[in-house]
Amino acid sequence: MLAFFLVLIPWIGLALFLLPKAWVKAGAVVLALVEVLLFARALVAPVGKSLGTVDWNWIPSLGVHFHLSLDGLSLFLVGLATVITLAAVLTSPRDRGAAYYFWLLLAESTAIGVFTALDLVTFYVFWEVVLVPVFFLLGGWAIGPARRTALKWLIMNLFGSLFMLIGVVALGVVHAQETGHLTFQLASLAHTTLVPAVAPWVFLSFLVAFIIKAPLWPLHGWMPPAYSDAPAPVTAVISGVLSKLGVFAMVRILVPLFHVEMAQAEPWLMALAAVGLVYGAELALRQKDVKMVAAYGSLSHMAMMALGIFTLTQAGLVGATFYMVAHGVMLGGVFLILGWYEDRTGSRELRTLGGLNQAVPKLTVWFQIFALATLGLPGLPGFAGEYMIFQGLIQSNVTVAVVAGVILVVAAWYMLRLFQGAMQGPRAPGRAPGDLTTPQVGLIGALGLLVLVLGIWPASVTSHLPTLAPSGVHQAAQAAARKGGERA
Amino acid sequence: MMHFLEPEIIAAVGILATLVAAMLVRPRSTVPYWFGLVFSAAALVRALTLQQHTHLYGGAVLGDSYSIVVTVFTLLAVMAGLLLAWDPERYGPEFPALMQLAGVGAMVMGFAGNLILLFLGLELLSLPLYVLAASRRTSLGGEAGLKYLLIGAFSSGILLFGAALLYGATGSMTFVNFTAVHVVPGLMAAGLGLLLVGLLYKLAIVPFHMWVPDVYEGSPTPVTAFMAFGTKVGAAAALLRVLAFGFSLSAAWWGLMLGYLAVLTMIAGNMVALPQRDLKRLLAWSGVGNAGYVLVGIASHNVVGAQAALFYLLPYGLAILLAFTVVRILEGREAAPVTLASLKGLAYRQPWLAVGFLVAMLSLAGIPLTAGFIGKFYLVRGAIAADQWGVAMGLVVATIVGLAVYFRPVQQMFAPGEGATGRFTVGTGIVLAVAALGTLFIGIYPEPVLHAVIQSARFTWLH
Repeated sequence: MLAFFLVLIPWIGLALFLLPKAWVKAGAVVLALVEVLLFARALVAPVGKSLGTVDWNWIPSLGVHFHLSLDGLSLFLVGLATVITLAAVLTSPRDRGAAYYFWLLLAESTAIGVFTALDLVTFYVFWEVVLVPVFFLLGGWAIGPARRTALKWLIMNLFGSLFMLIGVVALGVVHAQETGHLTFQLASLAHTTLVPAVAPWVFLSFLVAFIIKAPLWPLHGWMPPAYSDAPAPVTAVISGVLSKLGVFAMVRILVPLFHVEMAQAEPWLMALAAVGLVYGAELALRQKDVKMVAAYGSLSHMAMMALGIFTLTQAGLVGATFYMVAHGVMLGGVFLILGWYEDRTGSRELRTLGGLNQAVPKLTVWFQIFALATLGLPGLPGFAGEYMIFQGLIQSNVTVAVVAGVILVVAAWYMLRLFQGAMQGPRAPGRAPGDLTTPQVGLIGALGLLVLVLGIWPASVTSHLPTLAPSGVHQAAQAAARKGGERA
Repeated sequence: MMHFLEPEIIAAVGILATLVAAMLVRPRSTVPYWFGLVFSAAALVRALTLQQHTHLYGGAVLGDSYSIVVTVFTLLAVMAGLLLAWDPERYGPEFPALMQLAGVGAMVMGFAGNLILLFLGLELLSLPLYVLAASRRTSLGGEAGLKYLLIGAFSSGILLFGAALLYGATGSMTFVNFTAVHVVPGLMAAGLGLLLVGLLYKLAIVPFHMWVPDVYEGSPTPVTAFMAFGTKVGAAAALLRVLAFGFSLSAAWWGLMLGYLAVLTMIAGNMVALPQRDLKRLLAWSGVGNAGYVLVGIASHNVVGAQAALFYLLPYGLAILLAFTVVRILEGREAAPVTLASLKGLAYRQPWLAVGFLVAMLSLAGIPLTAGFIGKFYLVRGAIAADQWGVAMGLVVATIVGLAVYFRPVQQMFAPGEGATGRFTVGTGIVLAVAALGTLFIGIYPEPVLHAVIQSARFTWLH
């Protein structure tokens, strides 16, 4: 039931509309805190036991089960969602109004739904509902041409997910034709054999949806305006939590259901992710806007996770999953810091800024720590995730591993360029801004502690992960290729 | 023996009672409206409690659970129309009787098992609507009435001609006899083709849809709301019935043709809805697109598709009623045109109205946790089970376009600015609440409604 409560409780946010305006934020904080505590409850349960599973016969006429489970794979991503949402709620201004906090909580609920769903239709429902709160977060309260941004987010994502709907239904229908039993449970669908004419298309329908949501190059069109226009807490939630939905879905759905197709298409997938890796890093290096450096850096990191997944090795998959959690905490922190930075300087232009390390030492220190974590300094979690992904890459494709290695250097370059440009060098003229307040230090300190724990002790996450790599997948793909593309 | 017709009989008696009442009371009295509402509610209750199923006159009258579902949907539309029009000064004492008469027409189309009854139902449905469409005494209203009348008469003629050819080919008027009799293919095909054209006019399938936007815009909003739901229920029910009962063996032929028309209708309807500024015209085009969705289920020519088509009428109907209710509230007594700009800032002025409209748009766009998603999911399943991948793709493409259509008004609601403000009445409030809660309920827990509806369309011989 724990998974269900985690999904349900943010909906109590509807009651925020009834609270007097001064109490709205406090109410949202309470709900977000309850979510974190529920996650903590799940964390102290014994390792390996899947906690809080619900499996209800939701729509028998359609063979749909409401199946949520806090298993080893989803546990820490759920934790990520609760922690980042709490941080976002805490850092949001008091006068935002009930709707803003409700949509923020709803985004958390639906993200947790996606992470925990073990039924394909349940998964799809949450996958699509998540678009609505983000649409309003982007469109209702963001600045500038935000309405276009929101519509772009919605239409690009629905473009992907509606084609995925055909894939979802096709899997269910084919399974029903084979077994006479209509179901969308992932565990059952894993044994479905699609005919060779259909299988690549169904695979593609899922892949495109996941690529758009992540986003990965070349379907990242919604990302730059969304990251740039949204207020900092919303950006933190999108980049920290929601961008993980796409890559998480690859691990949860593509790997068990389509590993044969993935292995067959591996060179193409690798090339795609490698281009995205280079593209994101290259653009991050050129940005003049501090927020966009982090945004394109994030695009590059997402490609790194995708590379880990496409290796289809245990090391790569575990690395990618760990990196999702670590990246969420780190990038969430980076965007919060950049938000505070913008509040203080009133600008995001890298050229006009600089030399703030004297005036705001606390902000500088925390900025430094998160920047170093993001660029993959050993001892911090970025390194641990990238190391495991490299291990997988070297097992499966050394060329791409070399490319990724070069990009790691570039990653250090753009993050340090960001830090130097914003913080070091000659002071920009103007009044000295105030430093972080004590609550802000407390919040970012807590996130920083989390980053430190993840960096020093990655096994805290990885020991929970089940065996993710499909067995004998490469041999099966080669055998299938010899037989003329037939599925094993 | 006549048990199964009781809802229809109650509704028909209700018409007479309403007419008599309208003659006896002052012209501005709400008594006829009360009569119409109470009799419709009584018929609805009877329909929901009915268990017995009978076939009469050698299959001419098919009183089964399918016809009951059609009756229930139609009565919902009639009651919504009455509640939206709860203003005798504006709509006159004859309004309720005409509305009920149109409703009975749609019910007859639901249980019609032969061509004569089908035609009778169609005319019963159409004639009162010609009057109602023109009841707004403006040039727009007159245009709507005349256009509807001419197109309606034209399509009835075509349908009648098709029926005559079918009778000539088979020697029978009853659907179930068409499959059994060995027929001359040419005559049969021509008859079926003309029959389909007649029904597709009523359902407003592209390319037989051109009357829709003007008629919907010019008619009084309660009438438009009824037309958008009730007329489509009647036409879709009759189309599905005649094809499933009479022509199941040539399903591959009409399935293919209707599949193409469905894709064309969905995409064209939603594309043209995109640039509309008048909300009623936007909803009219969206109604065209949604008729295409219903046609997807019929074109699938399998059990799942038939069930999906029948079920989809309900989510669509609730959402479109909801949207027209919002139009009705915003247009006020003067029936001022409601444009997208009138919606500006609605979320801050009248949050409850905005919530209702939001639910309608989410459902029409097919977002999960609303009824529209369940309907579209079922339709896709039907198309894929029929191996009609192209139709499924067309549905998806149309839905993506539809999304832009339905989110533009939503953005307007949250945009700053001064738009229209409307006043709730008891009637509009009830329709708003029932339709919104129904949409959410079916979206979150569809099983009871879904089960009841799909059981009644188990045309298993469609395999």
